[in-house]
Amino acid sequence: MDTLLQVLLDGILNGMLYALVAVGLCLIWGVMDVINFAHGEYVMIAMYVTYWLGFLANVDPLISMFAGGLFIFILGALTYRLIIKYTIGKPPLSALLATFGLAMLLKNLCLNQFTPNFRILSDTWLGDKTFQLGALIVPLPQLVTAIVALVVVGLTYYMVRSTRFGWAVQATAMDKEAAELMGINTERIYLLVFGIGGATVGLAGGIMPTYLAVHPEVGTMFSLIAFICVAMGGFGSIPGALVAAILIGVVEALGGYYIAPVFKYVAVFGLYLAVVFLRPKGIFGW
Amino acid sequence: MVHCKSRMTICLLIAVAVTLMLGVAPATTLAQEKVIKIGTIFPLTGPVALAGQRCKAAVETAVEILNNKHPNIKVPLADKKGWLAGYKFVLVHTDSQGKPDVGKAEAERLINQEGVWALIGAYNSSVSMPASMVAERAKKIFMCGASSSAALTQRPDMKYFFRTASTDEVESHEFVEVLKWLNKTQKNANVKTLGLIYENSVFGKHAAEEAKKAAAAGGFTVVADVPFTPGATNLDSEVQTVKSKNPDALFGAVLGADYALMVKTMKKMNWIPKVSLNYCSGYQDPVIAKQLGPDADFFMGSTGYSPEFAGMMPAVAEVEKIFKTKTNNVPYDSDSIQETIAMLVLAQAIEKAKSLDPEVVAKTLYANTWPSPLSLSGKVAFAPGGQNKLALSIVTQLQGGKYKRIFPTEKADTKPIFPMKAWDKR
Repeated sequence: MDTLLQVLLDGILNGMLYALVAVGLCLIWGVMDVINFAHGEYVMIAMYVTYWLGFLANVDPLISMFAGGLFIFILGALTYRLIIKYTIGKPPLSALLATFGLAMLLKNLCLNQFTPNFRILSDTWLGDKTFQLGALIVPLPQLVTAIVALVVVGLTYYMVRSTRFGWAVQATAMDKEAAELMGINTERIYLLVFGIGGATVGLAGGIMPTYLAVHPEVGTMFSLIAFICVAMGGFGSIPGALVAAILIGVVEALGGYYIAPVFKYVAVFGLYLAVVFLRPKGIFGW
Repeated sequence: MVHCKSRMTICLLIAVAVTLMLGVAPATTLAQEKVIKIGTIFPLTGPVALAGQRCKAAVETAVEILNNKHPNIKVPLADKKGWLAGYKFVLVHTDSQGKPDVGKAEAERLINQEGVWALIGAYNSSVSMPASMVAERAKKIFMCGASSSAALTQRPDMKYFFRTASTDEVESHEFVEVLKWLNKTQKNANVKTLGLIYENSVFGKHAAEEAKKAAAAGGFTVVADVPFTPGATNLDSEVQTVKSKNPDALFGAVLGADYALMVKTMKKMNWIPKVSLNYCSGYQDPVIAKQLGPDADFFMGSTGYSPEFAGMMPAVAEVEKIFKTKTNNVPYDSDSIQETIAMLVLAQAIEKAKSLDPEVVAKTLYANTWPSPLSLSGKVAFAPGGQNKLALSIVTQLQGGKYKRIFPTEKADTKPIFPMKAWDKR
């Protein structure tokens, strides 16, 4: 029983990290219908921002993650302004290929500048700290990440559902032309959505160096899982992405421990296929 | 009309001149240069890019030595005298991304389009396997430095494949010998059970197979057999599975950042075996000790070279100076040095054969024992199948961030710390 609880806890904590990575993608995909292939590279760059701030200026990731968020907000806005803007109204494949190119550029830039060496930030406030909760081992960095994830996902959801800006975002997502006729500056909405989507993933990448090594390939698997979270949760549904992420974390942990560790991603992709087959619009899709 | 004709003549003359400049002139230069093109295939991007980049730098180091005079370097052909002095090695680098299909396609491109004379690579056993098959079909020599899967040299029909490094078969037996030795020499060692954690690739799976065979032969019971997906976001269920079986010893075939993640996850789960032995890479990567700090300590692994061996291999120092200029001052590790060795041995064989006929050079490679001051044994000789039968490695343990030699005892410079210290007692 203790082992089951431990596996469940690990799964939920990993799922919360996936949710934090996925929420920005969900926002961008839901509003703009753009698949941002550079999402994993945003994670990676935010990790580097935090790492270098920690390494060179001794700033802890708990503080520097906000710098990561800000950096990726700017990067996201620039991505829209310099690349995505010119693909809107074009065949969907053009935005996809453009962000794929951006992903390659960012990854190879980091490979070139920082080498493929992996880097670990030592002596962080959370470090490798754990505490016992009965028989359970609770890792503090992952727990704090989960709390950050809940706050960020909650705030993003609140912003979209309950603010004037959020209503404008929803209106733009539903019908761009009608939104423009209502006086909404859709260009600005797109720019901010890409920026905010980037900022959330920047926060995710910013906190990750407390317990994960930083290297140019680190974002690849996270972005793949983020895509699945968004597709499984329902395109544009923030609660859907959260539920899907936790489900993926738990299925991955249970499948990995009780069936076979090598089976954990098979279980995740199997679940994804089952959901998409039974409900093509995702759990919360409409 | 005349005016038009003369203009055409001028145009024709210009065209001929341009053709001569672009086409004929370089051809003449190339003929004078006498170039030997070598294609490299390494994972320059992807999860093990770090190792791949170093392997590339290692081949470049060898070529820099071979193409120029280096009287201070005590390796064969560094004096740039002899038949090969009239030749220059040129490298054509490719990136396999650690993927077998990409590596195979690059091998085909290197041979068919780039026209390379031989190939060197490919670090990942899973890439070396198909890429070397391509080379074999084209009758091109494939020098393999670091791929460790024993299966690579268990292909009796291969005539052009040569590997300088040790194999996971040899390492598995060495690890089992270490366990027996610990049981004999350490108080209450009582090592009986074994866990395996390995990446789900040709390298990992083959290492695990060899480990199982060696464990059975040595009387140890494998209680945990845990493959994992390279580049995974976490290794929680993998380490949890091993922890639940609590083996006395753990054999790991884990590369690059995955190795760091494995160690960190073991720490998070507050579990450690009595002894942990690791196949090539991962553990022996000099970045590990630096990045993991004290957490890297007390793990063991087999190593063909580490900077701490410098006293035993004095020729390495000068070569390593060149290598470090290409790697941001990171020294050789056990894998990368094998790529330099492979390139130097190939050059020696060409020199001895005085021929660029791959068949003649391959036969020469088999027929001789090659001096290799960068190898632990000091020599390289190939058995049928292409395996270097003189490859040696030493089992080391990280103590205070240094790779300390512990086995075989005649090569040891310290005693093992056994069992590994628990995480809360460090």
